Amino acid sequence: MLEVSGLSVDYVLDHGSVRAVDDVSFTLERGEFLGIVGESGCGKSTLLFAVAQLLAPPAVVADGSVKFEGTNLVGLTDGQLSAIRWRDMSVVMQSAMNALNPVKSIGAQFKDAMRAHGKPSKQEIAARSAEVLRMVGIDPVHLKSYPHQLSGGMRQRSMIAMAMLFTPDLVIMDEPTSALDVVAQRSLMVQIKELQLSYGFAVIFVTHDMSLISHFSDRLMVMYAGQVDELGATRAVFDNPLHPYTQGLLEAFPSIHGPRVPLKGIPGNPPDMARLPTGCRFHTRCPLAVERCSQVAPDLYQIDDALVRCLRRQDGSLSSPQQGSLSR
Amino acid sequence: MTELLRTEHLTRHFKIGGMLSRRMLHAVDDVNFTIGEREIVALAGESGSGKSTIARVLARIYKPTAGEIYFQGKPVSRIRSRPEALRYSSLVPMVFQDPFASMNPVLRVQHGVLRSLKLHRPELSGQQRTEEAARVFEAVGLGADMLERFPYELSGGQRQRVGFAQALAMRPKLILADEPVSMLDVSIRIGLLNLMAELRDKTGVSVLYITHDIASARYVADRLIVMYAGQIAETGPVDDVLANPRHPYTQLLLSAVPDPRAPMSTAGEADRGEPPKVIDPTPGCRFRYRCPLAIDTCAQVTPVLAELLPGHDAACHVAQSARGGAEQVKAFT
Repeated sequence: MLEVSGLSVDYVLDHGSVRAVDDVSFTLERGEFLGIVGESGCGKSTLLFAVAQLLAPPAVVADGSVKFEGTNLVGLTDGQLSAIRWRDMSVVMQSAMNALNPVKSIGAQFKDAMRAHGKPSKQEIAARSAEVLRMVGIDPVHLKSYPHQLSGGMRQRSMIAMAMLFTPDLVIMDEPTSALDVVAQRSLMVQIKELQLSYGFAVIFVTHDMSLISHFSDRLMVMYAGQVDELGATRAVFDNPLHPYTQGLLEAFPSIHGPRVPLKGIPGNPPDMARLPTGCRFHTRCPLAVERCSQVAPDLYQIDDALVRCLRRQDGSLSSPQQGSLSR
Repeated sequence: MTELLRTEHLTRHFKIGGMLSRRMLHAVDDVNFTIGEREIVALAGESGSGKSTIARVLARIYKPTAGEIYFQGKPVSRIRSRPEALRYSSLVPMVFQDPFASMNPVLRVQHGVLRSLKLHRPELSGQQRTEEAARVFEAVGLGADMLERFPYELSGGQRQRVGFAQALAMRPKLILADEPVSMLDVSIRIGLLNLMAELRDKTGVSVLYITHDIASARYVADRLIVMYAGQIAETGPVDDVLANPRHPYTQLLLSAVPDPRAPMSTAGEADRGEPPKVIDPTPGCRFRYRCPLAIDTCAQVTPVLAELLPGHDAACHVAQSARGGAEQVKAFT
């Protein structure tokens, strides 16, 4: 349904351009849940914006295509895009407080979205708005409420309800739960998953918190410094992470179960995208790097069913998962 | 455990609404806890539970509405003179949540350290101040060359280390760290948590670690205080509270923590996580609306903390009545 190939995004600045997303390719099946994780500045949000064609200058798509249901979205005019937006593809942003209009009631914002696609009657609007709010578990009386009258969780829910107005084929979510408390977060994740299963839309879900989507996504894509480092089935990535960065991420957050073990995290900081290290972009922080890693830029290699950008995985010098583990 | 700080019936209310409004928001209500020497105490709870208000009351940014704080045995409300106030704030400094907002962008990062040294340790000469700044930077894992940098040259993790260096320069007894890692990337957080443990072990400082992330609390803290709606729901040694949670809210919180290593918990799935409003509360347990175990008493009598296991207290009628608390009552598993 969605085919992203060779997508690159540049931020064009006065003193040259910075490549924030570098040659990213992936496909998405109908009804699939793809999780994208990475640290701040790894290009995950820029990638989402590029897929949804929401990039604003100085960011431009430098290369590649985004094929959505057969149409290449790159290069479409705003007019052509607006026919697709909300109807076939919708976006849920990180901060609902900023994404919702503070001076309009929830119902009025739903009405705007519906009027942008056709001429629904007042009854149709009212009926559909109430229906989508009920779908996310909010009483339709809140159609008259303004965003500030709702709790953080309810605002995020109404954003998701708005994204559901036309039952799109693809919903793109950029950290929709990051402003919520852990109980509200879990409740929202369960709700998203339930909606997805009953309406069959596909989800691209971006987050910095790997553990959050461990039970929800079908496939997981790990990004580092603008590139895909690892892409595989979610369970496989968690059970048998292949890239040292993925392993580092997994071992960077403490668990509430099992023995208390000292953790190290990943040394150093993510690289400056304007001054990337030579060779593998992770080699400066990688405890398993060998000399070759600083010279040769790795491709994305197929190892079993996963894709991994690691030279040592490709040449087999790291074979067992234990060998790759940072702390063991 | 040698006691360093103790609160007695600490309460802080805020007036809300217009000028004539009499409505009161009970941000912190009747909170009693102690912090020992060389101890990291985690204060956990959802947003609006009053954890940041407690930090601000302890830092003397807010005055308590009622109750008292005893620091090294002396009541904090007795502090009158400026030297006394300065002494207290140098012994109990604060580290803030947002390392991007808590530093002046046009001044070098050493500025904060040097300023506080000048203010709090006037006996030092300029040369000694610079040496001391280099020493505390070293202690938080930053090179002395970092002193001359500007905030924009530092990563989030490094800036937060500067925050700890500023606190450390005053030779504190208790650092109030309000969500010090929540703005940082996952891979950087652990380094800061390890730093807090290292500071405790090496310099003997205590830390009040305020967080909504219970897993990080478990990782670094000695004791845990779980707050709900301005009151303490449960408190005790961190491993004991997490392995053996007595309060239904603690159980709900634990069941909601995502853990890829464990199968997903379905307990309390229907709970929306809506934070309670504590405006002019009536007596009774504030968690009763979300609690599957609530009984009639819960709507009438506000539960108080009672020791159920050694050093492990919970404020729950149901947990307390189950054989004097010896038995665990499970609301969410």
